[in-house]
Amino acid sequence: MVEAKHDVLVVGAGCAGMRAAIEAFDAGADVAIISKIHPVRSHSGAAEGGINAALGNASDDSPEKHAFDTVKGSDYLGDQDAIEILCNEAPGDVYQLERWGAVFSRTDEGTIAQRPFGAAGAPRTAYAADITGHVLIQVLYEQIMKRDIRVYEEYFAWKLVVDDDRCQGVIAWNILHGGVAAIGAKTTIVCTGGAGRLYVGTTNAYACTGDGMALALRAGVALEDMEMMQFHPTTLSPTGVLITEGTRGEGAYLLNSEGDRFLKRYAPNAMELASRDVISRAEQTEIDEGRGVDGNVLLDLRHLGAEKILERLHGTRELAMVFAGVDPIDQPIPVRPGAHYHMGGVDTDVWGRTSLEALYAAGECACVSVHGANRLGGNALMETITFGKRAGAHAAEWALTHTTVTVPESAQADAEREVKTLLDRTEGERPWAIRDSLAQTMHENFGVFRREDEMQRQGEIIAALQDRYAHVVVDDKGDVFNNDLTQALELGFLLELAECMVMAGLARKESRGAHARPYDYPERDDEEYLKHTIVRRTDSGLMLDWKPVDITKWQPMERTY
Amino acid sequence: MTEAAVHTEYATMDVALKIWRYDSSTGERSLETYEVEAPEWVTLLDVLDIVKDRVDGTLAYRKSCRMMICGSCGMRMDGAAVLACRTRMAPLVERGHVPVISAMGNLPIIKDLVVDMGPFWGKIRAVTPWLDTGYAPLPDREHMVEQEDVTPIHKEALCIMCGCCVSECNSMEADPDFLGPAALAKGFRFVGDPRDHADVDRLNNLNDEHGIWDCTRCYFCNERCPKGVDPRDAIAKLGAESVKQGIDHDMGAKHAKWFVKSAETTGWLRETELVPKTQGIVASIKQMKFAMNLARHGKVPLPFPPHVADRVDESRALRKITQLQDRQGALGHVQGERALARIEHTDPGGARRDAPEVTLGETPPPAEG
Repeated sequence: MVEAKHDVLVVGAGCAGMRAAIEAFDAGADVAIISKIHPVRSHSGAAEGGINAALGNASDDSPEKHAFDTVKGSDYLGDQDAIEILCNEAPGDVYQLERWGAVFSRTDEGTIAQRPFGAAGAPRTAYAADITGHVLIQVLYEQIMKRDIRVYEEYFAWKLVVDDDRCQGVIAWNILHGGVAAIGAKTTIVCTGGAGRLYVGTTNAYACTGDGMALALRAGVALEDMEMMQFHPTTLSPTGVLITEGTRGEGAYLLNSEGDRFLKRYAPNAMELASRDVISRAEQTEIDEGRGVDGNVLLDLRHLGAEKILERLHGTRELAMVFAGVDPIDQPIPVRPGAHYHMGGVDTDVWGRTSLEALYAAGECACVSVHGANRLGGNALMETITFGKRAGAHAAEWALTHTTVTVPESAQADAEREVKTLLDRTEGERPWAIRDSLAQTMHENFGVFRREDEMQRQGEIIAALQDRYAHVVVDDKGDVFNNDLTQALELGFLLELAECMVMAGLARKESRGAHARPYDYPERDDEEYLKHTIVRRTDSGLMLDWKPVDITKWQPMERTY
Repeated sequence: MTEAAVHTEYATMDVALKIWRYDSSTGERSLETYEVEAPEWVTLLDVLDIVKDRVDGTLAYRKSCRMMICGSCGMRMDGAAVLACRTRMAPLVERGHVPVISAMGNLPIIKDLVVDMGPFWGKIRAVTPWLDTGYAPLPDREHMVEQEDVTPIHKEALCIMCGCCVSECNSMEADPDFLGPAALAKGFRFVGDPRDHADVDRLNNLNDEHGIWDCTRCYFCNERCPKGVDPRDAIAKLGAESVKQGIDHDMGAKHAKWFVKSAETTGWLRETELVPKTQGIVASIKQMKFAMNLARHGKVPLPFPPHVADRVDESRALRKITQLQDRQGALGHVQGERALARIEHTDPGGARRDAPEVTLGETPPPAEG
C-alpha cells in the first residue's frame, strides 16, 4: 500500500535537503522530507568553520575571485559554469539565511563576519563562531517548522521507485515501528550527504553511508568522480573527530616533531592556509618520513591566546579536551589527515537533475561538479544551500506541471520479500567484521596516496567482502527500532560505492587534487585526464565512462600555493 | 563503523556495564550486565557499539555524529542524563565502577535506550521557534547587528536538542505539560534576538500556565546540559525580561516583583503581604486562618509596624544601581554571566581588578558598554 503521495519528496534532511524542501514548498508544491535521523541530527550540523560567499565584509571581494579560487582549488576539474552559478548566487543565499535568523558572528560594523580559509584570496568564509553548520541546521529546521512541512522522521530510504523510465518515489523502512512503506512522489531529490564511513579515520557521522549515491547507482544513474575523496588535514587521532579549518583561519600553526612549521617546504606562500589536499599530503609525507608525533602532526593554537580561543573556537577546545585530553590553550593538538568529504557523487546538471527523469540530487551526495578534484573549506555548506535551493525550485516546477504518480505494487512486494529473506536468515556472519575490514582496507589502500597495486588489491578485497556480505545475518528480528537491520543495509550501500571508487581511481592515471599517485603518475595530465570519471551500473556490471569538464573562462594552469 | 573495534593497536581494558533493556511491544524490562574488552580511550557510545556488534545486535540506542553536536545519544548513566559520545569510560573502569545505563527520563521509552522524542518536539514547536521580524521591512542584505547584541543568545543558540535537560527536569516530572528547559531556552533564543519583533507576544505566551514560572529552580538542567546552554539561566532571563516589560499576569511574576519591592522598601521580605500581592485578595482571605496560625507561632512577623532593616539604604542603592546600569531584564543576567566567565577564564584571582569602585549611597558609575 502506498503510504502517501507528494509532489516533491526530499530524501535526507541536512542543509541541502531542508533548503530544497523550503524552496519547493515556497513554489507551491506539496513537499515531504524523509530522513533516517531527525533533521537536526544531520551531519551538516557538524560543519564548524563556515560558509563561503563573496560578501566583501572583511575585505574587497567578488564572485569572480571566489570562482577563480574554487576553480584552482578543484585542480581544474570543477565545472566552471556550475562554479560561476555558485559564486554568483552565494551572497544572496547567505543573506537569506541571515534574514531567516541564522546567528552569524558579526564585524565591528554589524555585518556578517568573514574569516580567511584555505586557498581563498580573501577572507570570505562567513561564520558563527565554530558552530556554523549547527546554526544553519537550526535555522533551516525552524523554517521547516514554520511551514509545517511533513517530515517522515526515522524512515530509512532503501530503494527508488522507477516506473515508466522516471523516478516516482522511494521504498523505505520505518525504523521506529518497523515495516516497509512506499512513498510516491512526482519528483525525488536525494540529499543524503557523504560516505565517509567507508574509512576508519573519518570526520563523518555514523549516518554518512552514501545512501543516496547507492540508491541512484542501483537505479542505473551515473556517478561522477567517485575517486575524489577529500582527506581533511586536521582530524583528531584516533577517532577522526574534526578540528575546524577555522583554527588555521584564526592563525594556528602546523608543526612536526621538530617543532618546525613544515608547510614552508610545501606551500611557502599560503602556509597553513593552503588547499586541503596540499596540506594533507604534506602531513602524510612528514609522518611517513618519521617527523610525526605518534602518527600525527601538531596543531598549535597557543599563541592565539585564551580569549580568542574561548570566544571563537570554544567548541574546538571542548572537542580537543574530551577526545584528545588536550587543552589547546596550553598544549598543541595532535592531528592527522582523515576522510572528510566526497567531491564525487550523483552526476547532476546545474539544476540538480540526474540522468533519470524526476530524480534530483543536491549537496555532498551530488556531483555538479563545483569541487572537482578538491573542495575548498567553506564551499560545502554553500553548495548545499545554493544547489539545494535550485534543485528544490526545479523539482517543484516539474512536479507542478506533471500529474501522475504510479508506484507499482510489485515494488513494495519485492522489498518486503527481500527484508523477510534477510531477517529469516539465521546461519551466517554478522555485518560488523565486514564493515570494519572495508573501512580499514580503504584507509590502507585508497587513502591520501594511491598506488596501482594497492588499488587493485582493494578491488579484490571488496569483491571478497561482497561475497561475505551476501550471506550476512541480522541479529534483531523485531520491528521496533531495528537499526541492526538498517545498518546491514547501509553496509550493502558502502560496498557498492567502494567498488565504484576503486574503478574510477584505477582509471585516472594521473595526480589531480585528492587523487595523488606520487609513485607512478606524479603529475597532472590535462591532455588525457581533464575530464570526469563516470561510473554506471548496467546489466553486465559496472561500466566506466568519461565526461568533459565545462570550461568557461579559466584555462588550466599550474597550481601552487 | 565501530571506531573502537578497528583500532586494535591501542592498550585495552575490560569494561563492564549494566543496561536497562526494555521492549515496548511486550512491556518486558530487565537489567542486563555486559562485559567487553575495549581500547582505553573509548566513550560510552563506543562501548555500546562493541556490545551491539559482538554481544547482542538487538540493543537499541540512537547515535550519529559521535562528536557532541548532533544530540542523538542522550541517555542516563547512573540515573543522570549524559551524551554517550561525551562520556569517557576509563575513569569509571579505574575505580572499578559498573555504571547502570538507562533511557532518558520524562519521555516514553520505545526500546532499550530509545525514547519517543515526539513530546519534546511538540514543546519546541509550542514556542513558535522561528524568527519573527514583524512588519519591519527586510533589508536587501543582512540585518545590521552589533556583535554585542547577538552575544546574549549565543548560549541558547548552542542547544543541540539532545533532551538531557528535559530528562532531568523535576517540574516536568510533576507536570508533564510544563514546557521544559529546552523549549524555554529556545524561547529565549528569539526573545533575546535583536532582530525579532515578537518578544511581547512570546513573553505573554511563555508566562502562561506550564510556562516559565512553573520552573522549580532545581538547576538540574544546567547541571546536566552537555553543551553549557544553562537552560535555567535562560528561564531566569525570560522571567526578568517579562517583569521588565510589565508582563506579570502570572503569580510567579507577581511573586518575584514583590521580592524586589520588599527588599527596596524595607531591606527585608515583607512576608505577610506576599500572599495578597501574589495571589490576590480572595486567595488571601481563604488563607487567613493559616496565616493567623503562622503569626501565632511566630513564623511570620506582624505587618505593622513594618520591619525595616538598619541599613536599608544599601538595599535601595543596589536597586538603584541595577536600574541606572540597565541591569534589569535579560541583559542584567547576561552581564552577570559575562562577569562570571571573565573571572573563570581570565582572572583566576577571582574579582576583576579593573572593576570600578562602587560606594553605596553615591551615584554609581555609568554602565559599561
